Amino acid sequence: MKRIFAAVLFTVLLISGSVTFAACDNKTSQVDKLVVYNSADYIYDTNLTDFKEYYKEITGREIDVTYVTFDTNETMLTRITKGDSNVDVVCPSEYAIQKLLEGGHLVKLDYFNESNYTADMRSYGGYVHNSDKIDQNIIAKIDEAFSNVKVAGEETPQKMTEYFVPYMYGTLGILYNKYAFAEMGIYDYDTINKANWGILFNDDGEGNKLSDNLTGNILMKDSIRDSYAITLFYMQQSGKFGDLVSPDGTRYQNMSPAELINVSEDEVLDICKQVLVEQKQELFGYEVDFGKDDLLKGNATVDLAWSGDAMYAVEESWNDYLCPECIKKSGKDQGSGNNAEIICSVCGGECGDYELSYYVPHTSGNIWFDGWVIPDTYDKSHTDAIKLFINFLNTPYAAASNLVEIGYSAAVNPDVIRNDADARAVLAEAYAVNDDSWERLDEDGNPLEEFDFDSWEEFEEYFFDYRNEIDNSNWRYPFLVNGNETEYDRSLNTLGVMRDFGENNKKVITMWNGARSTGVSALPLLGWTVLAVAVAVGIVALCEFIKRRKNSTVKIARPKAENTEV
Amino acid sequence: MTRRKFRFSRKAFAYPYMLFMLLFVVVPLVIVLINAFLGDDGKLTFENFAEFFSDAGGGLTVLGNSLIIGLVTTLICLAIGYPCAYLLAKYHASNKVLVLLFILPMWVNFLIRTLSTKAIFMALDVKLGMGTVLFGMVYNYLPYMILPLHTTLVSVDHSYIEAAEDLGADRFTVLLKTVLPLSVPGIISGITMTFIPAISTFAISEILSSSKIFLFGDAINMHFSKATNSFGVGSVMSLVMLLLVIVANVLVSLTDKEEVKSVL
Repeated sequence: MKRIFAAVLFTVLLISGSVTFAACDNKTSQVDKLVVYNSADYIYDTNLTDFKEYYKEITGREIDVTYVTFDTNETMLTRITKGDSNVDVVCPSEYAIQKLLEGGHLVKLDYFNESNYTADMRSYGGYVHNSDKIDQNIIAKIDEAFSNVKVAGEETPQKMTEYFVPYMYGTLGILYNKYAFAEMGIYDYDTINKANWGILFNDDGEGNKLSDNLTGNILMKDSIRDSYAITLFYMQQSGKFGDLVSPDGTRYQNMSPAELINVSEDEVLDICKQVLVEQKQELFGYEVDFGKDDLLKGNATVDLAWSGDAMYAVEESWNDYLCPECIKKSGKDQGSGNNAEIICSVCGGECGDYELSYYVPHTSGNIWFDGWVIPDTYDKSHTDAIKLFINFLNTPYAAASNLVEIGYSAAVNPDVIRNDADARAVLAEAYAVNDDSWERLDEDGNPLEEFDFDSWEEFEEYFFDYRNEIDNSNWRYPFLVNGNETEYDRSLNTLGVMRDFGENNKKVITMWNGARSTGVSALPLLGWTVLAVAVAVGIVALCEFIKRRKNSTVKIARPKAENTEV
Repeated sequence: MTRRKFRFSRKAFAYPYMLFMLLFVVVPLVIVLINAFLGDDGKLTFENFAEFFSDAGGGLTVLGNSLIIGLVTTLICLAIGYPCAYLLAKYHASNKVLVLLFILPMWVNFLIRTLSTKAIFMALDVKLGMGTVLFGMVYNYLPYMILPLHTTLVSVDHSYIEAAEDLGADRFTVLLKTVLPLSVPGIISGITMTFIPAISTFAISEILSSSKIFLFGDAINMHFSKATNSFGVGSVMSLVMLLLVIVANVLVSLTDKEEVKSVL
C-alpha cells in the first residue's frame, strides 16, 4: 500500500516538475535577459522599470533585468578577474576599469561596425558612445590620463575611452559648516581661498593655524586613495616637497595636479606619512559612513567629502533659523553661530539657510568617474540588451533622474539635459520637492499635474550653476565657469584624474597603515592602570591592617572589662 | 539487525552539522592559510610574513597597542567584575533581579549600545579618544567577566566558608584563602572571554574614537576591505590572531585539568 502511494506521489512530482520546467523554457525563449552589476545605491530605481519599456519600444520584446550590486571596487575586481561571474555589464570606478583593462578582461565597444542589430539605434538618437551627447570635457580628462593603457594580449597601447561609456563623475572637496566658520571668523573668500586644502590640516596657507577652534573638529576619509590625493595637494601647496625631484627630472613642487596625483615614489610617501601623522592632532577622526552625520549633528566642523555625498549633506542641513544675510553682516566680529534662538534683524528669523557648504579648492583637485564596461565573460546572446541599456542610461531623461537621485554629476552633456523636455520635467519635480515655495496648486487650488516650465530659469541655477559666493565653487559641474572666470583658473587644468598605482599600490597601503598606527601609544594607559591597581590594592591592604590592629586591641580589652564587672 | 541500522542513522544526524563546520569553519581557515603564503603574482612567498614582522606598515605596533588595551580592559573588568560577582552570589537567593540587571544590557545589540555611548559622550562634550574606547570596551565586556565568575561563586559549597569561619578565619581571610582559590576557574574563563574579544575588536574603537585609535582588528579589516591586493598581509595578521586564540584556549584547558586533579 505504502509503495503504491510513494509511486503515485513520485509520478505526480515528476509530472508537475516537468511542467514547471517546460513553462520556464517557454518563458526564456520569449524574454530577453540582462545581468547588471553596479555599485549599491547607484541608480534611480525607476530607471530599471523604465528601461524595460524603452527596450520593448525599440525591439518589441520583453526583457528581464537581473540587478546585482557590490560594496567596493575591490570586491567587484575579485569577482570579475576570477572569471566565474556571469554578468553582462559592470560599472566600476576609473582605476578599477584600468585594472580590468590591463588584465585584458574587457570587450572593446566598436558598435557601429556591427550589422546584427534588431533595431537601428541611430534612429533613436544614435548610440551615445563617441557622440557629443557625452560631456566632452570629461572625455578629454579621461584621454589625458588613460590614452595609453597597456592591455594584456594587445600589442599596441589602448585608449580607455574605447572600452567604456562614462556614467557619473564627481569631485573630492571640503564639506564644512559655514556658520561655525563664521563664528571662528574664517568665513570669507580670501581666507578660504588661501587656505584651500590646508583647511583639512588646520593650516591657513602660510603655515599658521587657521583657527584654534578647528583643532579636534576635522574629519578625514578612511579611504586610502582619496586621503593620499589631497595630502599630496596640501604638500605641494605648503611647499613640503622642497627641491625634491622625481625620477624623470621634474620638481614635485612644479607638477600639475594631474601629474602630482599619480606619484608614488618612496621619498614622497615618507613625507606624506609624516604630514598625516602630524595631521592627527587636529583631527576629530576618520570616517567613511558617519561623516555626514557627525557634521549635521555638529560633532565635527570639516570633512573630506565626495561631491554627491556633500550635496546630500548640504540638502539635509537646511535650518529655518539661519539667515544668509546675518552671516554676511555679522561676519568676523559677532558671528551668528548655529544657535536656533537667534532672530535676525534683516528678516526677523524667517529666512532659513543651509548650514553646510562644499568647497573644491581652486588650485588643485581630484576628479573621478565611473563608467559602464562589458567584461569578456558576458553572455553573447545579451549583446543587444547590453548596448541598449548603456544607451538608455545616457538618455537625458535617465541622466536627469540619476543626477537627482544619486547626487553626483551625470556624464551626459549638461546642455543636452538642459534642452530636453523630459529631463526638465524630472528636474522641475525634484526642485519642487526640495522647495516649499514652488507652486504646486493652480489658481483654483487644484493640484497641478505638470510643473510649470516657464519658470525653468528659477531652478536652472540650482542644478547647473549652484555656487556659494564665499567659496565660489560650482558643486555639480566644476567645468562650467561663470563671470568670475578671470579670478581663478577653474578649468580642466586644476583637476587631476588618479590612476591605479600598479606596483606601488602595496607601498601606499603600507604608508597609510603606518601613518594610522603611529602617534598613538597605549603604553601610558598600561602604566596608569598598573599604578591605579597598585594604589587600590595598597588602600585595601592598609584598611585591613588598621582593622586587624583595632580588632586585636578590642580583643585584648574585652576580658579586662568582663573581669571588672565580675 | 534493525536496531543497529537505527543507531547508525541516529549518528547521521550529526553529519549536516559536520558538513557545515567543514564548509564554513575549516575551509575558510585553509583559504586564509593559503593566502598568507601567496604573493601578488600568485606564487609561493614568505614576503607577507616578512612585511608583517618587519613592522613596515606598523602591524606589530598595532598588535602591541591592542594587547595593552586588551590587558587593561581585562584588568579593569576583573577589578570591577569580581566584587560584583561576589555580591551577586552572596545575595543570589534573595535578589534575582540584581542578576537580571547585569545581564540585561547583553540583550541589546552591542552596536546600538556603542553608538548610544558615543551619543552620550558627544552630549557631555567628552573628547573621543583612548579613554572613551577603554570605557566602551569595559562596558561591553564586563558581563562576560561577571557571568563566569558568578556561576563559579554560586557553586562554591557554603560549608567550606563555614568551616573556615569556624576555624577562626575573619571575613577577609575567608575571602582570600577559601573563596578566591575556589573561584580560580571562573577567573580564568572570565579573563579569556574578555581578553580575546577585546584584542580583536574593531567596531568599538572605530565608533568611540572616530577611527583615531587603530587596533589590530581595524588593521585586519583595512587589509581585506579597504585595500586592493593586500589579502596576503591580512591573512598573516589573521593567523597571528588565531594563534593568540589557540594559546588562550590551551591555557584554559590546562588550568581546568589541574583543577580537576586537585579536586580529585
